[in-house]
Amino acid sequence: MHTGLVAAVVTASLLAAASGLVAAVRNRPPGLITLALAAVAAVLTLIQSAAAAVDLVRGHRPAELATSIGYLVGIVVVLPLAIAWAVAERTRWSGVVVAVGGVTVAVMTARLVMLFRGTGA
Amino acid sequence: MPDPTSAVSPAPPERGPRPTATGPGRVLVAVYAVFALAATSRAAVQIATDYYRAPLAYLLSAFSAVVYIVATVALASRGSRARRVAFLACSVELVGVLVVGTVSLLAPQDFPRATVWSGYGSGYGFVPLVLPMIGLWWLRRTR
Repeated sequence: MHTGLVAAVVTASLLAAASGLVAAVRNRPPGLITLALAAVAAVLTLIQSAAAAVDLVRGHRPAELATSIGYLVGIVVVLPLAIAWAVAERTRWSGVVVAVGGVTVAVMTARLVMLFRGTGA
Repeated sequence: MPDPTSAVSPAPPERGPRPTATGPGRVLVAVYAVFALAATSRAAVQIATDYYRAPLAYLLSAFSAVVYIVATVALASRGSRARRVAFLACSVELVGVLVVGTVSLLAPQDFPRATVWSGYGSGYGFVPLVLPMIGLWWLRRTR
């Protein structure tokens, strides 16, 4: 995993999550900033998975190859689905939905880092 | 943004409980979707890589994945049929996490490989234990 990309993904996804929660606390639907942060995080997640896939093709072997591939694929669908689900009903709860997606991506990224370092169990 | 007054809470019809997949229910569906993804990936990886090492645990993983997918779709849908399916899925999930959690502690040799429900979902912050309770409670409060 590329440290810079990992940092960017975690930062963007947690910022999107925090922004969604702030909107929820203020009883507003997630605004442009929240959705833009989530979209940026989604794109960064895609780049992160693509870069990791290149590493796998080049011969890098993480702790559990199949699990790692599952995470690399699964992580890219989380935020697009969260954004779509959040936009479909514009209430404060949509911000919480974005937060769930953002935190999930951050946790999955942390797990991926462990797997690629070979310390994941 | 055609109508600024509709920006916040297009309130559900005021009489009776709200539909299940609205408001907080949308967060519930989102969390269920995360677990559907987690359980499905876990089961797919386990069955694809070393099915014969722990077939029972892996089949349980696959079963839990199906339950989460059904629960997610049913909670996100409207209508009395979706509601009944959601009740059933959440109930099966609660029984599953309690039974598998208990057996995985009492007879760990029968569960050499983890499922989402092992140790009452301790590998997932016990969310698998709490989720069906919230799901059933929310279904009771909504229509």
